[in-house]
Amino acid sequence: MNFMDWVFNLYSNVGVEVMDQLNNKIYDCEPTLSDSQVLDFCKNGYLLLKDVVPSEINSRVMEFMERDTHYEPTGILDEDWFIKGVILNEQVAGVVRSLLGANFHIPILMSNHQVIGPYSATGGWHVDGNYNWNPELNYLQVFYYPQDTPLEVGPTEVLPGSHLIRNKARFMGHLNAIRGAVPTVSPAGSIFLTVYQIWHRRGRATVPVLRNMLKYVYWRMSPPQRDWVIEPDFDFSSVSYGGSAEAFAEQFRGDCKTAEMFLWLCGKHDVYQNLGGQSWPLPALRNDTPYGYPAGLDS
Amino acid sequence: MEVLVADLRKGGLTEHSLREGIAKIVAGNNFCQDLLYLHGRSTSLSAELLGMSLIEGGKEVALGSDPEEWPYKSVLDAIKDGWRVISLPSMSLLTMSDDEFHGLGFQFVLERWS
Repeated sequence: MNFMDWVFNLYSNVGVEVMDQLNNKIYDCEPTLSDSQVLDFCKNGYLLLKDVVPSEINSRVMEFMERDTHYEPTGILDEDWFIKGVILNEQVAGVVRSLLGANFHIPILMSNHQVIGPYSATGGWHVDGNYNWNPELNYLQVFYYPQDTPLEVGPTEVLPGSHLIRNKARFMGHLNAIRGAVPTVSPAGSIFLTVYQIWHRRGRATVPVLRNMLKYVYWRMSPPQRDWVIEPDFDFSSVSYGGSAEAFAEQFRGDCKTAEMFLWLCGKHDVYQNLGGQSWPLPALRNDTPYGYPAGLDS
Repeated sequence: MEVLVADLRKGGLTEHSLREGIAKIVAGNNFCQDLLYLHGRSTSLSAELLGMSLIEGGKEVALGSDPEEWPYKSVLDAIKDGWRVISLPSMSLLTMSDDEFHGLGFQFVLERWS
């Protein structure tokens, strides 16, 4: 299908407003995440949305993957029902809009991590290639399960907070059990979004099931700003920035990394600072504004 | 070994029979090196473990992500169970930036023979 046919089909199925936006594969919608939820994403590095894709769409995806067994079945991105039901799924798009800002770019490459169980070996812990260890969030790595994916089927495991812990895939080959790792056990139609450099691996499968897991990337088209759902009482000075990375780092370093990423998303990275000692963003029960609290954060 | 001891008691043990006997003992042992990677939260031998990998009999042992199910709670636990430390955490990590952190904790490598 050529691009004009794709646009026409989309026009017919998702309407003028959406079609107009998608002429350049750009999309916008209302953000759905609040300040606290965006901060949680900065702490954990991933967000799992369970059972958000309708079952009829999951079934069509499974049928499509029976026909197209290539590891990059990008043709599915030409299907308007897939764009509408998965890529622009209301709950997913709201999260993507919250994290990547207005007019984000939709995926142009689809991968399917199709494996047949059972297999005793995991996929091995790794970070995907061409990562950038910095506080910026310019793209989101997304995983979609079109079928029920219980523990026996070998769901992907992620290590919460590991997007803040530098590593190299070639240095991770001997790692196995890690404290705090989470298997993304999910019902069909579940989608999880991650920071690109989060540590992850394919889980061990114990049943003879063919697992499909689609993987794709959205990216940012506008500078970061705090334009998600604002919580009126959200307090940058007292909120806890501590998260899952704490176990793997020197005390409070995880708080600092999380705060820096959150401020970058707010479009305030230029005012981020860590003056050391008990200064912001360390957690504490203070009776006044913390030492080192950046000016201009509340505006 | 029993043959060598018997020869010794009879006064018949020679340099040649000793060497030959030891060579037979070594050749008859199909030992396999088991490895245990333990990733501690600090350099302390009693620190909480962040990660564990176990290779026994030439195969990687499946371990759950729940630390309560792991066979050891610390490096010291493993040592008490007969494991020998063959590699200590690399202090070169201290030369990295103070603001960055790398890898999975402090890695101890231990071995034993099975």
